[in-house]
Order: sequence, then structure tokens, then C-alpha cells
Amino acid sequence: MEPAATSTTPRNETAEPLLVLSGVTKRFPGVLALDDVDLDVKAGELHVLFGENGAGKSTLINVISGTFPPTSGSFRFGGEEMAELTPHKARAIGISPVFQEFSLVPSLTVEENLFLGRERSAAGILDAGGMRRRARELIAELGFDLDPKARVDKLDRAHQQMAEIAKALLGKVRLLILDEPTASLTERETGRLFELIARLKSQGVGIIYVSHRMREIRALADRVTVLRDGRHIKTLDAATVTDSELVELMTGRKIDVLFPAITHRPGEVAIAVEKLATADGQVADVDFFARAGEITGVAGLVGCGKSELVRAIYGIEPIASGSVTLRGETVTALDPRSSLRRGVAYFPANRGVEGLALSRPIRENVSMAALDLGRYQRRGIIRRTAERSLIGPIMETLKLRPPNIERAVGNLSGGNRQKVMLGRAMARDLDIFLFDEPSVGIDVGAKVEVYEFIKRLVEAGAAVVVVSSELPEVLALSNRLYVMHHGRIAALLEGEAMTEQNVLSSFFEEEAREKAA
Amino acid sequence: MSDADLAAPAKPAAIDARGSRILQGTGWARQLALPIALVLLLAGFGLADDRVLTTYNLLNIAQQTSYLALFAMAQMVVILTRGFDLSLGPTVSMVSVAAALAMAGIGGADANGIVAVLAAIAAGFALAAACGLFNGVVVSILGVSPLVATLGSMNIAIGVATTISDGRPVQGVPAAFADLFYRGSILGLPIAIVIAILVGGVLAFVLSRTVFGRSLYIIGTNPQAAAVAGIPVKRLLVYAYVLCSALAALGALMMTARTGSGEPNLGGTLSLQSIAAAVVGGTSLAGGRGGVGSAALGALFITILSNGMNLTRIDGYVQMIVLGAIVILGVVLDRLRLDGR
Repeated sequence: MEPAATSTTPRNETAEPLLVLSGVTKRFPGVLALDDVDLDVKAGELHVLFGENGAGKSTLINVISGTFPPTSGSFRFGGEEMAELTPHKARAIGISPVFQEFSLVPSLTVEENLFLGRERSAAGILDAGGMRRRARELIAELGFDLDPKARVDKLDRAHQQMAEIAKALLGKVRLLILDEPTASLTERETGRLFELIARLKSQGVGIIYVSHRMREIRALADRVTVLRDGRHIKTLDAATVTDSELVELMTGRKIDVLFPAITHRPGEVAIAVEKLATADGQVADVDFFARAGEITGVAGLVGCGKSELVRAIYGIEPIASGSVTLRGETVTALDPRSSLRRGVAYFPANRGVEGLALSRPIRENVSMAALDLGRYQRRGIIRRTAERSLIGPIMETLKLRPPNIERAVGNLSGGNRQKVMLGRAMARDLDIFLFDEPSVGIDVGAKVEVYEFIKRLVEAGAAVVVVSSELPEVLALSNRLYVMHHGRIAALLEGEAMTEQNVLSSFFEEEAREKAA
Repeated sequence: MSDADLAAPAKPAAIDARGSRILQGTGWARQLALPIALVLLLAGFGLADDRVLTTYNLLNIAQQTSYLALFAMAQMVVILTRGFDLSLGPTVSMVSVAAALAMAGIGGADANGIVAVLAAIAAGFALAAACGLFNGVVVSILGVSPLVATLGSMNIAIGVATTISDGRPVQGVPAAFADLFYRGSILGLPIAIVIAILVGGVLAFVLSRTVFGRSLYIIGTNPQAAAVAGIPVKRLLVYAYVLCSALAALGALMMTARTGSGEPNLGGTLSLQSIAAAVVGGTSLAGGRGGVGSAALGALFITILSNGMNLTRIDGYVQMIVLGAIVILGVVLDRLRLDGR
């Protein structure tokens, strides 16, 4: 890190901020991505951009880092008007972006990527030793556990993220742009990053930080600018704004058409869980129930135990204590096979790892949880004709495109893979459905189909549990909504009380309670 | 990584890509690669030695292949589930000795043919089932890696085979046994070939048409997904190892009939040979890919190779070098196939 020498001198409060955007508009064919947006970032300030997907945050940081010019408006950096900015020029004057989509070349090593396009050389010969020393110094300074000689395509996502951050910090940095930098970092690495951010701030570097995570915004932000539908909604002082205020500003409008209107007709209790604790400690002392004919939502942050709760009910997470009762019958020794026979299905969040056998055809992936049924086999011998004539129509109703059930699942898109999972649920008679992050990794069109599928299940009288980290999703789908925090139920919200503000406030109340305890 | 890599990082990658494209070929080219290699190999040895392409030798190759094909099929069943069985060779030795001892105990060469044969079959399969059960339980229930588990049972089996036989061949195999498993023929085909074809047919049916076989492929492709879908992964893994050992036992009985005695070293290099045959034939050590056809072709390839090397008087130890290299080559080819997927 070599912050510009000028920025380390004490700042004059009346001087122009490091970055000033005024009235910036960006129009793409058919889309107004940014509409008259103002933004200023001072040296030594961390400024959070807050907004839903599609609110214009990415477009804005792309304009600032020179990826494309604004259609109109003024863009000043360091007191100078920025015209005809390119990514290269932006870097040269100290604007360093770290995008979510990495800019690393997969077949090169970390250190080659760090110096990509700015290799050090003497008389046309690369100064490999010098570059390596500098790369080592930088990585050591950042405290990253990263091998500068490793090829980028051999690294996992967290390490690629570290390489990307290191790359952004290699040259002279005056404005650092971080787009959800912690999305793939562990707790410890996140801690390192936060220390680093504090150091950069004290050196007078301005930081634009994009995140949805309230905790990070609380920990880091000086000011927050809320964007919605490409417009600047408000810039607030992070010290005084409340979380619910931010969320309200961010969402603004009410639920959109993405979610179908679902008629819940709560009936018998299908799942009742008492004082449940899992062996890994992720779920502790949970009471929970779900009824037929309604969707029961479970909201919470990543790692709060919501996923483990449904996995324990299905029988893939060992239970330490407590009881699970299905339709009035207390069940001991849970395992997937007997759960399926009791009519319980589980849709894993990670379909590639836990859901699908990728090199096998769609047909086998759909029938694989039902092969114990007489309609698919007789005395252990698969009834191939019957299998084909049962699975074909199932995938047809799910609108599999193209409708060829002999293709390997590995060739399918995320949306079609989820359809294979849904098809599996239709391959046998089930009436309790546990969805773990049902819309993760699939596009909007496929999401709508998944929601429609869930709607049909519930309206036909099934009990559905939806576990999701996406608040709008669980809020829109659920009839009753549990909020989990650190393995416990923090709140149960119903009817009018099911609002984003209430969910978030129950997190923080629980957090405060834990701190007090 | 060396400095040279750093200076020209793109180069090795490019060669990698081109190399794997050639080796992977496209669909049918890949299917035909091994049969073509077989023909070339046979032709090559035929040019080197007149005796290779005689009817007598070709029938000999076919018969030899049937033994190895059985062992390769046995190995393939567990390789499908991402495992393998290093104890297969010693299991063969153990079954051979145990079967011969059972027959000797009943009365040796003079014994009632049917009783002796039944005793041999019962002793052989019981021991093999115990062996497979042991491997299966250690791998599946105790979660020990197949490498360690079967390396251990390999030593156990060698020890058992040597101890119960005192390290010497067990004599007293009655004629009826040799007739049934070696000398007999059906429609002019030697019995070994007939057995291999029958077993291959049944196994192919089991793998492609039964819930058990389908489940083995799914487990090998994604064991976690199989478990979440309610497939009884642990139980089926145990069955796979038992089936592997049972097929090995059948081969062991046939080889015992051929040698006419229970041999404590009968299994010798069969573990490696059977893995080599399965892998060269196209069974993937990564699991979920392979079948009876691939095991049989691989067995044929290895048999032609060693037959040719024998006839052209290539030293036995050199043959070991070749076999070892072939296993590694087979695995490398498999890796390239998977990378190109």
C-alpha cells in the first residue's frame, strides 16, 4: 500500500471531498441505470452504498472506476474533472476497485496477476525478483494466507478474493472500492480485512463499500448512501441512522410480482419439534411447528442454524436431544430413507453437492429418491418403461427445456437443475416439503416457477417449510415466520407482524440479550 | 513451481489442453481407442513371434482373459463406488488354499466328487464373503479409506493363506473339481470362457437394470446426494465389497482347478492386474463410470500384453515394470477424461 503522500497530511475540512459526483445519469439501451445521482466521498471516509439488487450500485462503481462513462453529470476526483476516464487511467490516479466478478487471469499466478499490465522491467526484461519481493511484502502486510506463486484457478473463492484485494492495494491508492468483499471470506479473514480498512482510513484513503450486511455497516461506515431503482434516495450519517430506517429506505415499495399470492389454509400440525438440539450445537433448544396447508418460513443469517433445523428433521443432521413429531407420531432414529417413506422431502441449498449426481441423466436423478416404490421396480429390477413414462410427464409439467430426460444433469442451468430436484419430489407421494434456500443460484424466471411450484403444493394441502437468507422471499411466501439467531428461535411472527423491520429488530434484540447475558 | 513456469505460464497450459484433447478424443473415437490398441498390440506381437497368432495361442489368450476378466469385473464393482480392493489377490490365494483344504479334509483325490466340489465351493465362498464383509464394514461403517482398509486386509489375507497352508501347495484336488471348473467345455468352448461370459452377462444386467446397480453408479457419482436421496449408501457399499470378493472367489476356484492344488501364492499380482485391467478399460477411479464391457476389454488388453511379452521372452521383472506403468497411464488417461468433461 502506498497511499498518496498528500493524503496523509491533515485535511482541511472545507476542502473539496476526494470524490464528487453530481447529477450523474447512466442510460443503457432501454434501461435508466442511474438517474441523477449525487455522491461524495471524503478522504479517510468509509462510505457505504446500500440498495437492493438492481438499485444501481454496480453501475455507479463502474462509472467511478472508468469502466464506462456516465451519460451525463459531473464527476470530479481529487479536485479535477474526470473526462474520458479508462480503467487504466483510474488506477493510475489511485482509484482501485475490487469487483465481485474477479478481474484475475485464471491461468496466471497470484503475483503475475498483481502486476498484470504494470509489470516492472528493465530494458525489456521482467524484474521477476523485484516483483516477487514486492508481492510477498504486500501479502505479508495484509496478513493474508496466500501463496504468491499459486495459480489463480487452483485457488478457492476466498483466496481469489484475497488476491483481488491485494491487487487493488498494490499501487498508489486514494479511493478503494469494495463490492461485497466479505461474501466469501471467513470470520478471521474478515477481521483482517476490517483491520486493514481501518489502517487505510487513517492514512486518508477514501473507501466506497457495498454491502447488505448490517453488522458490517455498523462496524465500518461513516456515511451511508441508499440507492433504489437507480436513484439517490438519501445519504445518512451512519452513527445516527437505525437499521429499520435503512431497510425501509432500501425497499421503499411493497412486495413485487415475483411472489405469487398464496392461499394458506392451516390444518393439522404436520411437524412438531420440541427442545431440539443438534449434535454439532448449531441448533439449541428449538421449539417449532409447521402445519399442513401453510408455508412456515424460517429466516436468519448464514450460520444461525436454520438450515440445520430442517436437516435434522429430515435426518441428515444428527440430533443430540429433543423430539421430532410428524403428524402426531414421535419419530426416533431419523434418516432420509425413512423420512421419504413418511412423506417428507428435503431440497438442499447446495444442489451440486447434496442434490444431484451430475454425470447421470435427468431421469435417474429424478427417480433416485423413489426407487424403493413398486411403480419403479419389481423385486429389485427397475421397470425401465414405467420409469420413463412416469418421469417424462413430470418434467414436462415442470417445463424442462429441452424436454429430453436422458441428458446428463451436469449440462443443465441452475434453474433446470432445481427443476430436477422439484421433479424428484413429484416422483413419489409426499406431503411435507422442506426447502433450504430454494432460489439460491437461479435466475428470476426460474425463481417464479419455483414459487409457483411451492404455491401449488401448499394449496393442495401440503406442509411446506421454507428456509431462506433472503428476507423478501420468506416474508412474501410464509404464513408464519420463525426468526432464528445463534441456534435459537428469536421470534415467531404472524400476520401483520411479518415485516422486514420486525425480523431485523428481533435479530438485534436477541443480540443485545446475548451481550447482556 | 519453478522459475521457468513463471516466465512462460501459458505454455504448459496450452500443451495440457491440446494433449488432453487428443487423448480424450470425441465420443466414438474414445470408444474405439482401446479395441484399436488391442488389434495393433496383437499385430505387433504377431510380427515379432510366429506363435502369437496361432489358433492355439488365441484360444489360450481367450481362456487366460476369462480369469482376469472375472477379477477385473470384481474390482470394477467397488471402483464404481470410488473404492478399490487391494486384498483381491490374497483373497484369491486364501480361497484357493481353503477350498483345497476342504476337499483334502473330505478325502482328497478319492473323495466323492459332488460332496468335495460342494465343500470347496462352500468353503471358498464363505471365506470370501467374510473377507468382503470385513472390507465393506471397515470402509463403509468405520469410514476408513479403501486404500488403508484393503491394504490392511491384504496383509491379513496373505497371513491367513500362508498359515493355514503352512506355505506349501495343498494337494488332493479331486478330478470332479477340475472337470467342473477347468477341463469341461460347453459347445466346444472351454468352461472358463463360458463362466466368464455368463457372469459378465448377469453382472451387466445387475448393474444396468437393478436398483442395486443403479444405486452403485449414483453413489460413485455423488455419495452425499445419494444419501440425501435416501439411498442406503452404507449398506450398499458393504454389498459391493462382498460381491467383489465373491467374484474373486469364483475366479480363485477356477484357477485352483487349473493348477490342481491350493496355492498360497495364487493371487500374486492379481490385485494390481485387476485394477489395471479395470482402469485401462475405462472404469474411473473417481467413481460412477465403467461397466462389464470396459472390465472385459481391459482384461483382454492386459492378457494380450503379458502373453505377447511371454512369447517374445521379455523378462518377468520387466513385465512388472510394464504393468506398473500401465496402471499409472490408465489413471492419467482417466484424469484427462474427467478434466475434459
